[in-house]
Amino acid sequence: MEGWRLGIDIGGTFTDVIAVAPGGGSRRSAKVPSQPQEPIRAIVDAIGAVGLDWSEVSEIVHGTTIVTNDIVESRFPPCALIATEGFADTIEIARGSRRSLYRMEALPRPAPLVPAALRFEVAERLDHEGHVTRALTEAEIARVVAEVRASGAEAVAVCLLHAFRNPEHEARLGAALREHVPHVSLSHEVSPEFREYERMNTTVLNAMMMGKIKRHLGLIAARKPEGSQLHLMHSASGMAAPALIAERPLMLAMSGPAAGVSASCKAAADLGISHAVTFDMGGTTTDVCLIVEGQAQIAVNRDLGGQRIRMPMVAVDSIGAGGGSIARLVSGALMVGPESAGARPGPACYGKGGTEPTVSDADMILGHLNPARTLGGAITLSMDKAEAAIAPLAQAMGFTVPQAAAGIARVVHANMARALRRATVERGLDIRSFEMVAFGGAGPMHAVEVARLCGIGRIVVPAFSSGFSALGCVDAVMSYSRQMSVGRKSTAWDGVQLSAAVATQVAELSAALVEAGHDAAALVTRMTAGIRYSGQSYETEIPAPVLDDPAALGAQFDAAHRALYGYATGEAWELASLRIEVSAPVEHPAVATEAAVPDTTPTGHRRVTFETGEGADVPILDRAALPPGLRLQGPLIVEDAWSTVIVPPQDALTADAAGNLLIEVAQ
Amino acid sequence: MTTRPVIDPVSLEVIRNALTAIAEEMSMVVMRAARSPLLREAGDHSSALTDAQGFLVAQGADVPVHLGVLSFTVREFLARVPAERLAPGDVWILNLPEIGGNHLPDVKLIRPVFRDGALYAFSISLAHWADVGGAMPGSYFAEARDAWAEGLRMPPTRLVAGEALDEEKLALILANVRGPDERKGDILAQIAATTVAARRLDELAAKHGTAWMTAAFEAIHDRAERQMAEAIRAIPNGVYRGEDFMDDDGHSGPPVPIRVTVTIEDETATFDFSDSADAVPGPINTTKFIAGAAVFYAMKALYGPDIQPSGGCYRPLKVVTRPGSIADAPYDRPVVGGNHETCQRLADAIFHALIPVAAPLLSAGGPTTAGLLIFGTRTEAGWQTFYEVHPGGEGARIDRDGMASTRVHLANVMNTPAEVIEAEYPITVEFQRLRAGSGGEGAHRGGEGILRGYRMRGDDTTVTTMFERAVVPPYGLDGGAPGAPFGAVLTRADGRSERLRGKQNIRIARGDLVVVESSGGGGYGRSAVAETAAE
Repeated sequence: MEGWRLGIDIGGTFTDVIAVAPGGGSRRSAKVPSQPQEPIRAIVDAIGAVGLDWSEVSEIVHGTTIVTNDIVESRFPPCALIATEGFADTIEIARGSRRSLYRMEALPRPAPLVPAALRFEVAERLDHEGHVTRALTEAEIARVVAEVRASGAEAVAVCLLHAFRNPEHEARLGAALREHVPHVSLSHEVSPEFREYERMNTTVLNAMMMGKIKRHLGLIAARKPEGSQLHLMHSASGMAAPALIAERPLMLAMSGPAAGVSASCKAAADLGISHAVTFDMGGTTTDVCLIVEGQAQIAVNRDLGGQRIRMPMVAVDSIGAGGGSIARLVSGALMVGPESAGARPGPACYGKGGTEPTVSDADMILGHLNPARTLGGAITLSMDKAEAAIAPLAQAMGFTVPQAAAGIARVVHANMARALRRATVERGLDIRSFEMVAFGGAGPMHAVEVARLCGIGRIVVPAFSSGFSALGCVDAVMSYSRQMSVGRKSTAWDGVQLSAAVATQVAELSAALVEAGHDAAALVTRMTAGIRYSGQSYETEIPAPVLDDPAALGAQFDAAHRALYGYATGEAWELASLRIEVSAPVEHPAVATEAAVPDTTPTGHRRVTFETGEGADVPILDRAALPPGLRLQGPLIVEDAWSTVIVPPQDALTADAAGNLLIEVAQ
Repeated sequence: MTTRPVIDPVSLEVIRNALTAIAEEMSMVVMRAARSPLLREAGDHSSALTDAQGFLVAQGADVPVHLGVLSFTVREFLARVPAERLAPGDVWILNLPEIGGNHLPDVKLIRPVFRDGALYAFSISLAHWADVGGAMPGSYFAEARDAWAEGLRMPPTRLVAGEALDEEKLALILANVRGPDERKGDILAQIAATTVAARRLDELAAKHGTAWMTAAFEAIHDRAERQMAEAIRAIPNGVYRGEDFMDDDGHSGPPVPIRVTVTIEDETATFDFSDSADAVPGPINTTKFIAGAAVFYAMKALYGPDIQPSGGCYRPLKVVTRPGSIADAPYDRPVVGGNHETCQRLADAIFHALIPVAAPLLSAGGPTTAGLLIFGTRTEAGWQTFYEVHPGGEGARIDRDGMASTRVHLANVMNTPAEVIEAEYPITVEFQRLRAGSGGEGAHRGGEGILRGYRMRGDDTTVTTMFERAVVPPYGLDGGAPGAPFGAVLTRADGRSERLRGKQNIRIARGDLVVVESSGGGGYGRSAVAETAAE
């Protein structure tokens, strides 16, 4: 059936939907309120909001924050843990460090995910090469399965020492458990890498999320017409089939941000941009992610709500600065964030009871926010309340209110520029060689000054920038990826064994795609090697590694190391890890937006104060009516229903035929 | 006449961000490119920028004890190497504890930063090398009786001149340390960090001018001074005395006192450690700079978590030590363990002193010991050294139990996963579990320590211990019971068993098992059981 394709991104507050007509000829978009208690309703509402019936929809790709929110808000169902004898307490011992150096009152870490009563140990042992040094007996399996059943836990995670080297013991336990326990998660399947605490915590979180996600998928399956497909956006910025997600729900941990990154990759590719940094500014945080050579950067370790998760995920850094970030004078310095007024009470200008000065209040004073905007009818903005919130701060600094507001903007931009630098420096990259893709409600409003501070020369505000994550879902490619420990030294190279191990992983990943209906011959496999000199702990990432020739691979590594650190020693090295991604490419035809009548007549004017301190009456242009290709010199404001783009006097803006806005940033 | 540029509250925060970003970038360069295992999983390194006088202006977010030390290193360096001798393109190396330092393995690389011929800043990178020579692999010699037994002593030495590495000086250093290839990697990484910092500083200076930069540095100092003064003001005026003990003199004997007298007068505070014991024979002496680090940590943790580390925050503080004492030892005394053992006890003494005015803010005694064991095995490839610190139970607080298995106060190094240990060293980790019942009783209980068993798979291994709280356990507060003391037990392959001392070097063999029992946290408040019993 050839029907509509829908991208639906269920966020915390709003659900965005973008619908592509059969044949790709046109697109529709809408926003509906999210239904946190009943995520399926947001899907039904979203389909209705673009004027469709589910029976007309051939495929939905859906991003969701269900898993993210449960982790961040510590909503965890009981889960049993089975570990090698002597190691069940690893879940509580963790890595022995604490989060805050100077806050003694703060709990060093979140409480362990599994309480002592649900920790079980099993007599078995492997050595670091995967050889069995203590066999797992059938009687032992029967004993521990009976104990887990007696505990009443509906989810169980199994994490045996060195299981990623030899999964046999875990597999046998898993088979026995699956006969009796609904949700079973095995560490060698979820995170086949060394470091037992990280693998254990990841496996437990995965087991905990299985029940809720299976219910959600079940509700969708019951509701959706036969023949209509459903896929989910996973954390590594690809889509996955529901059958896989049911077993690996933790793959959704970064689903929402991954969708935005996916859309950014597509936008960058369409514009021929190879290096881009995404800039998604929301209410409490700003998410940034690097795209290098067209590929989103992937991280394999992440703390989410204080929980360590190890899975391939888009390397999104969340900066604690957003529209709701609170400004305070602390011992003579103006600090902004990380405390946030959040959605409740929200910035003072929202009129929901907030009184502390926030970034959005400063935006209001500076004329960046349209005072008539209602954000979907939810809010009426108040200039008086913004002024009242900022006035005391201004007085304390000896500034006028607009000066103080400009100061808040400068500080928040400095915070963000530092975080952007950190993101590039961490990976040995130069931020000045990047362009910026700005989206989200407030991203386009603040992008220009942040880009200027970083030395970024051009910004793209992509078409559909306010429903960008939904766009990312529509354009997503089906892909599965896995990070595996290798631990192969250049001095003891065994290409045959390595090829066999890689082939096994590729076959597993491919099988899932073939099962989902893709042609095996069309699948694309991409690998990234993590290599280090012996003694280093941080691997240098080598894209497209030459695995069958250690000399060539060594040369690839030396070249990459020199580029990163300025030196290479040519000594022995180790292939520590491999990340394998198998994807099923699809061609989504480019879509022209419905052409509005070109019109550069301002819809109005607004007084805007820029970072230089100068103010001007600035023309407001309607985004949909901008004539493609016409270069417009700032100062100007470009607005659509959901977002505002501010172009300062020294900068210039051009719209293209696809609906993207390109801003040239003067340095 | 030139007037000093005015730095408003907005510019102050903007420049603070820019400088901190530079120090963070330095840390990333070291962490990613360095070789010592300690710099990888553990992150045992720090980076900082100072003004032309050597006063700290920014740091990467790293290890508190280092940052205390880095507040003094460049100033002490300048006291010996006058600024006139410094030139653009220089990088200097040093590790002498008496020059703003702590112990020999923490090696500092210092680069003076110039613009138009004028010195306006320094970048400094400190990293804990896995070996700096001396009697034992890992440069921890429990039986050391003097400073020379602890490794290569490097006074300020110009290692890079005009951006050219002096290969002969480098060779001299590498000839005196174990694992010269690894150490060379560490040095190159540290030099690279100082270079990146100089380049970034130059970009800022090109934009703002050095006069503005210098004014901004001064504004940063002034603000930190104000923050520290506000923190001191939170403490009632008065004289407070506190005392805690080291287990022994570093080799043997009875516990050795660490004493502090804290005098608060409005916005100034004096921390006088003069009444502490004389310098001891064993390697737990320390320097006055470490005392400064402990004071800064305690003030920040109790009264001002947001205090910006900067030269200015020491202005309202007076840290007094008595030359010849354990906290200000003669330069020829061994100090390697003082860096993390005595250092924590100095902070404990301050906490004891402040009980009358700060009890609700305090945690009961926690694992204020690194709980360090070093396994050195000779292999065909040379010495293989495995360092491991052990977390213990956090002390309870007035409103909650202590957490199990954590690091407290001036330390925050992570443990090494069993799967990493087994793959990289000839050691099997037989178990790692909580040490049930080790947390002290109380209205709120101390956290549990851990038990971890190491079975030797190789021959000819040396174990070095460097732990405290084995004799004097983590204290309870307000009637809470102390936590269980730290310990380590060696069981030979033939079944003989012995308890290891806190500072000991001992040879062990294949099949031998070492079990670490880390300390539990102290309890807070009298427990219900204890109250019933008292009735």
